[in-house]
Amino acid sequence: MAIPFPFSAIVGQDEMKLAIQIVAIDPKVGGILALGDRGTGKSTAVRALADLLPPLQVVVGCRYGCDPASSGATCSDCTSLKATGKRPKTETRPVPVVDLPLGASEDRVVGALDLEKALSQGVKAFSPGLLAQANRGFLYIDEVNLLEDHLVDLLIDVAASGENVVEREGLSVRHPARFVLVGSGNPEEGELRPQLLDRFGLSVEVRTPQDIDQRIAVIKRRDAFERDPQGFRDEWATQNEGLREHILKARKLLDKVKVGDDLLRLCAQLCQALGTDGLRAELTLMRACRSLAAMQGHKAATPAHLRTVAPMALRHRLRRNPLDDTGSGTRVERALTEVLGA
Amino acid sequence: MNLAWDDALWALAALHIDPVGLRGIWLRSPHGPVRDEWLTLLQHLRPGVRRLPNNIDSERLLGGLDLSATLNTGRPVTQAGLLAQSDQSLLLAPMAERMANEAAAILAQVLDSGRVTPHGGGDTQDARLGLIALDEALEDEPAMAETLQERLGIWLDLRHLGRQAQASDEVLGLIGVLCSPDEEADEERQNIIRRLRTLRLNDEQIQAITQMSQAMGIASLRGPLACVRLACVLAALRESDEVQDQDLGRAARLCLTPRATQMPAPPEQEAPPEQAQEPLEPQPETPEPPQDEPAPPDNEQPSDTEQPPDSPDSPEEDTPPQNMGELLLEAALASLPPDVLAQLAQSSKTQIRGGGQSRSGDVRQSRSRGSPLPPRPGLPRQGARLHVLATLGHAAPRQKLRTPLASSQGAANRLAIRAEDFHIHRFAERTQTCLIFAIDASGSAALHRLAEAKGAVELLLAQSYARRDQVCVVGFRGTQAEVLLPPTKSLVRAKRSLAGLLGGGGTPLPHAMKLALELALQQRRLGVTPSLVMLCDGRANVSLQGSGGRAQAFQESLSLANAWRSQGLQSIWIDTSARPEPQAEQLAQAMGAHYVPLPQANSQRMAQVVQAAPRHSEPDRAKLSN
Repeated sequence: MAIPFPFSAIVGQDEMKLAIQIVAIDPKVGGILALGDRGTGKSTAVRALADLLPPLQVVVGCRYGCDPASSGATCSDCTSLKATGKRPKTETRPVPVVDLPLGASEDRVVGALDLEKALSQGVKAFSPGLLAQANRGFLYIDEVNLLEDHLVDLLIDVAASGENVVEREGLSVRHPARFVLVGSGNPEEGELRPQLLDRFGLSVEVRTPQDIDQRIAVIKRRDAFERDPQGFRDEWATQNEGLREHILKARKLLDKVKVGDDLLRLCAQLCQALGTDGLRAELTLMRACRSLAAMQGHKAATPAHLRTVAPMALRHRLRRNPLDDTGSGTRVERALTEVLGA
Repeated sequence: MNLAWDDALWALAALHIDPVGLRGIWLRSPHGPVRDEWLTLLQHLRPGVRRLPNNIDSERLLGGLDLSATLNTGRPVTQAGLLAQSDQSLLLAPMAERMANEAAAILAQVLDSGRVTPHGGGDTQDARLGLIALDEALEDEPAMAETLQERLGIWLDLRHLGRQAQASDEVLGLIGVLCSPDEEADEERQNIIRRLRTLRLNDEQIQAITQMSQAMGIASLRGPLACVRLACVLAALRESDEVQDQDLGRAARLCLTPRATQMPAPPEQEAPPEQAQEPLEPQPETPEPPQDEPAPPDNEQPSDTEQPPDSPDSPEEDTPPQNMGELLLEAALASLPPDVLAQLAQSSKTQIRGGGQSRSGDVRQSRSRGSPLPPRPGLPRQGARLHVLATLGHAAPRQKLRTPLASSQGAANRLAIRAEDFHIHRFAERTQTCLIFAIDASGSAALHRLAEAKGAVELLLAQSYARRDQVCVVGFRGTQAEVLLPPTKSLVRAKRSLAGLLGGGGTPLPHAMKLALELALQQRRLGVTPSLVMLCDGRANVSLQGSGGRAQAFQESLSLANAWRSQGLQSIWIDTSARPEPQAEQLAQAMGAHYVPLPQANSQRMAQVVQAAPRHSEPDRAKLSN
């Protein structure tokens, strides 16, 4: 595996780092869409995501990495394991962060007939694809706006249902595929379909740091990393460890964080003012507030939390109004001022 | 001595030493003796460097199932793709400007991650490589995909290099040693690599590079990073123990100067990013801004940077960082490519909504022609062609599953192919583009600028002719807008219709926009990608009803502009008023247009357009610079 750049060594990019931490604390917030110019370090930040995530408990022998604690066996592997009557063994595994390469074939994404078995034993078996690998983890698509249409359709469906249904080549398989979608891209190169946009919980705009000292720091660290990736990672291991513990602590606190009715009302007002469709925006707002509160060690989410997460959670959900050309960020700010007061 | 060829050879040697660290080179040059010589030297340095055929499909690029081996052995055999095969080496991509977007995106990803995942799945493989992208695009043609440009460390432009270009003995000797047939060459290379590991830039040098890249308006940090790396490689090549000014200068010329989006101002005048596309105001003491020089004036550059740059926190004039920055700047500008302005113009062109493909039409999927995309499952009907290899590849591993049935039919040694195996060819096709010119010939415009506007249109016409675009001209004045020239490819007719355009009367801008929109939508239905070039001062004063009333006309124009934008159509707005007109800019924004004021007092901008079309004749230049 290529060695990723350590998360704690990333300079600047505060919004992006915040979004990643919010999602790491509560994956239910939904995915992250990072938009920005080239060379701003979008993919560096996303690939460093794995640093933050505490490992998972999985069932040994389950190709979909099911959670041993979950009651109802959902996948075929777990069912057949259960049928043997023995208690399944468990193991810890790092959270999967799966890269979806642009050239990937549909077979590779969805899964296909296991060629090895078909050839050698003449057996029809399913070989899981990237969606199965990403179950309970993250699926990362760099240059998401260049993704081929048929793959986009597929992802939209699976991301919504949390289940991958394969009906092809005489195979009939369904397996859990609950993953957090993370995309990055340069909006100049192509727009994203609103349906796909909606599957991302948060969106951030990434820019290159304008501050000369920050730029120098980026270049120094990146250069040091390229010269000796492992050594550089070791240098930052302590900071990364601290960050991970912080996330773990926040996760434990998450269920205790209160989101009051008055805050929910504010969320609803905000969404109404911006005319976002459906309840997904409100849900995302609420979860993101809770996650941010937990991250800061607070027991209750406040309007201040809402103010911080609202641009990220709403920016990409606004309908484009042909008569109003203000950027969506400004529109969110305006609505925030309206609802929360200056 | 012209530094360009010397730099080119240093770049070549550096790529040979450190292909992976530098990620490769974007080499812009037509096919010709200069490039041939460079490539011959490359062949000597790296015999058997792999070539990337332009029509390569992603399967070959990424690797996938080896059909014959799979059939022979009865188990799936994967074949490494070209990328994995080029691990730790250089890969040559000729005609990179024609590369399919898909392939460019894949290459960009691999350059970033150094890993490649085979097409059908399987383990990822190492693919740490440097790409030599040969770009033959002419000035007015779309260059290589920007995603890919961005990743390549070195940018080299040999388009204006004559055959008599010379290089220093130092670099020639070095390449001679590295080319020598015996083990000496390899030993030398290993020595240099060993030295490279120990070389570092000091803080001051890194600061100088960062500052300069910012002053040049380079937003991406990949440029300065490549510059840092290249400076070390160059120092290692010279067998130096430390990175010196000449290495920094050379590296800046190869990595930073070509990426510049603005002329570097003295350090204290750091331009905010919004101004990145704007030409700088000429310095009062320099009568001509250096941009306007057709050739790089080596000894004039310093005069631009001689003013003592002082930053707020250090009043002393000779603090080392500034000195370093100045030296570096001077070195970087020493071989300023003559078309730096064409590049600037180009980089601003790509801001047009719709992205980098705008200039050659949208890409759409086709079943019959274009550059190949990976095959997809599907039935060969409605003009789709069967992709035999992919179909066989799909059927082959499944034979054992199907044999019971096949043998019962007495065809045991035939391949059993089912409908689900069928794969079809897919291609990406570029559609045609139609440029719609809407020209304001009203009184307000005619008096001032009609002649200039016509000149600008002629330039744009010449460019679009070179791109085989269709053009269409709409003129508007008085109370009417009319199609002076329906979509055509005839440049002569377009010019004639322009010449016949007389000025005077009101500005029925809403009419013109409505007509242009109708034309554009009609063209789009025909499968042509339309884009609009609007030449107008934005001062609409005739409404759709044909009555006067500025406010009404402006409101109508605004809502039509929004309609234009919501259709996702592309446009450029050239403001023909004497000084940039807020109304025009507002309308351009509403349209999502790229707004270009046609300035009167300072002819820089126009000169840029002129330089971007170098084959254009002199008289027009005189006319336009006014």
